[in-house]
Amino acid sequence: MIRKIFYAILASAALTASAARAEETIVWWDFLSGGDGVRMKAMLDQFNKEHAGKVKIDATTLEWGVPFYTKVQTSTAIGQGPDVMTYHESRMPLGISSGVLSVLKPDELAAAGIKASDFGPANWKAAQGPDGKQYGVPLDIHSIILYYNKDMLKKAGLLGEDGKPKGLDGAANFDAALAKLTTKDHSGLSVPNDGATGWRIFYTLLNQQDGQFLKDGKFLPGDNLAKATTALAEMQKWIKSGWAPANTEYPASIALFTSGKAAMHINGVWEVPTMVDLAKKGKLFDWGAIQIPTFYAHPATWADSHSFAIPDRKGNPVPPAKRKLVLDTIHWFNVHSIEWAGGGHIPAYLPVQESAAFKALKPNSDYASLAKTAVFDPVSVLAGVASPVYDAAGNYIIPAMMGDMAPADAAKKMRDDLDSQAK
Amino acid sequence: MLRSKRSEYFTAAVLMAPFIVIYGVLFVYPTIKMVEQSLTNAPLIGAGKWVGFDNYLRLASDRLFSVAIWNTLYFVVLSVIPSTLLALAVALGVNRLKGWLQSVVLAAFFLPYILPVSVVFRIWSWIFDKDFGVAQYLIAPLNGGHSLSIFRTIPLFMPAVAFVTVWWLLGFNVLLFIAGLRNISSEIYEAAGLDGASRLTQFRRITWPLIWPVTVLVFTIQLILQLKIFDQVYLFAQGGRVDATMVMVQYIYKQAFQMNKGGLADAAAVVLFALIVVVSVLQFQLLRARGAR
Repeated sequence: MIRKIFYAILASAALTASAARAEETIVWWDFLSGGDGVRMKAMLDQFNKEHAGKVKIDATTLEWGVPFYTKVQTSTAIGQGPDVMTYHESRMPLGISSGVLSVLKPDELAAAGIKASDFGPANWKAAQGPDGKQYGVPLDIHSIILYYNKDMLKKAGLLGEDGKPKGLDGAANFDAALAKLTTKDHSGLSVPNDGATGWRIFYTLLNQQDGQFLKDGKFLPGDNLAKATTALAEMQKWIKSGWAPANTEYPASIALFTSGKAAMHINGVWEVPTMVDLAKKGKLFDWGAIQIPTFYAHPATWADSHSFAIPDRKGNPVPPAKRKLVLDTIHWFNVHSIEWAGGGHIPAYLPVQESAAFKALKPNSDYASLAKTAVFDPVSVLAGVASPVYDAAGNYIIPAMMGDMAPADAAKKMRDDLDSQAK
Repeated sequence: MLRSKRSEYFTAAVLMAPFIVIYGVLFVYPTIKMVEQSLTNAPLIGAGKWVGFDNYLRLASDRLFSVAIWNTLYFVVLSVIPSTLLALAVALGVNRLKGWLQSVVLAAFFLPYILPVSVVFRIWSWIFDKDFGVAQYLIAPLNGGHSLSIFRTIPLFMPAVAFVTVWWLLGFNVLLFIAGLRNISSEIYEAAGLDGASRLTQFRRITWPLIWPVTVLVFTIQLILQLKIFDQVYLFAQGGRVDATMVMVQYIYKQAFQMNKGGLADAAAVVLFALIVVVSVLQFQLLRARGAR
């Protein structure tokens, strides 16, 4: 009897071992732990099911921001780390300069069916190094949008026939709308008070005036300083006039909107699932989301992009056969990125972005137009997610917005601080 | 039976070897490397070129680094002294309770200590939250009826974080004091009581001198711990004016992990190391001398 069991175990062990040999494993690291992480998990499950017996993705989700990028840097330095990872395009300059990312050669990309023409030009270019080589493949474009409460906008006469806000374009008009929307019971707007959000709004307003944050290695040179001041003054006005409450923490700012204490809310597209889920449970009013209105000369919105990259593992590079498999996998995720769009993101892959399925996806398709005029973070090792520029936003943009610093003073101090760090 | 000295040395060496090896590999060697690397322009990973004392000169002229030093010392003053005195007061109170009541009260004070810092941060950021926090019912009347963002009002930041820290770590100090108080023989108090010493006199003449060594211990542990303050300040300042509330370990973290400047971070770490050694040795000697008086 015991002998029988022993043989059975042996046989099954041999079977699993041979199955494991036939099945290739891709080690995958990402930092997607929010509402979008749930969607990524579903996609990973779908991928593994479709490729059962051939390819298996072994995925690990790590802490977003500096911890993720530090772990990637330390592990690649000793030849460890994943076969593929998610990477913010805005973070690529620092990744490339510290030798973390491996170049994706044109013939490799072509073999996997990845084409530059399938992506927006700015989006594709943001994954390139100063050497013009490709270091990543974009998965999405994510940005900030304007969430709005249809009932409140309607009451204030700011809702068009199509259910979208009207008359918000132009700084003066936007201010007037905020004033109209602010009543005894609710404010016109709620905005999180963290540096990252501050940066995204500021960068949007700066680019709508054709301002350049970084030019030839100098921060806010020439008249860009005046444009930065204009942007900060506008943001300060919202708070000072009492149209938006000051210093609302990130979760509180969302709660103010969802509980009907603020008519509009500026935040990332990644909060779309929050609203969708609440609405599904019948706990949310009639809501919508649009691209940030045009305050100045022309539309422009800050954007970043989750992309895929292959780490440059020192002394233990990802073998060529595995690289091919990884690139095929990346392409699969782009082809299937309609699922990812459920997380609020705009698919980077144009065939999906322009598909009927995405056009039918609400509210995503209402704000997808922002992709055409999206502006990506300045290309610098000091910029990008969780960078000194983001810190500077906390140190100067937020205090200016909250009225603790004069806009001109904050702009000047931010410029001097970043210039000194660039040395 | 006398054992030979040699075999005793051998036993001692065998018993100590694991510790010495681990201590050497995980502490002494990295420390030497840190000092060595602080004289180079190394990035976070990999070697750098020798730059002499450039990093130290850079620290000396960096406004942010001096802000970090002052904030650290300010935080130490705000947290170490109150937490030591408060713990003594609580321990004296708890010590008077008897039986299960004492255990329950002690457990209540100790409970926060077992929480991880992330949970402590979440609890207190919601309690103090400007829009939804319960503490605003107390804060708003003091602020002319308006709610106030405690962690975004720079002068209030360090005191608030110190308050949370004292709340969090108090239980451990109380435990040390209770152990100390239990070591004082009750006969001494009985004798003093017979001689007609009042409670205050008993505290001044018996408890305070006899508990002094424990006080010095608690004070020193707290001092070293709080000079290395990082977690709470980092969490509560996130997304805000991090430069205005920067502390030393946070500065090291920023230079090493965000700016990829390993050499500069090492230099800052050496300065912090020196500061901790100097302050704690001074403090320990000073307090011990006072106690021996």
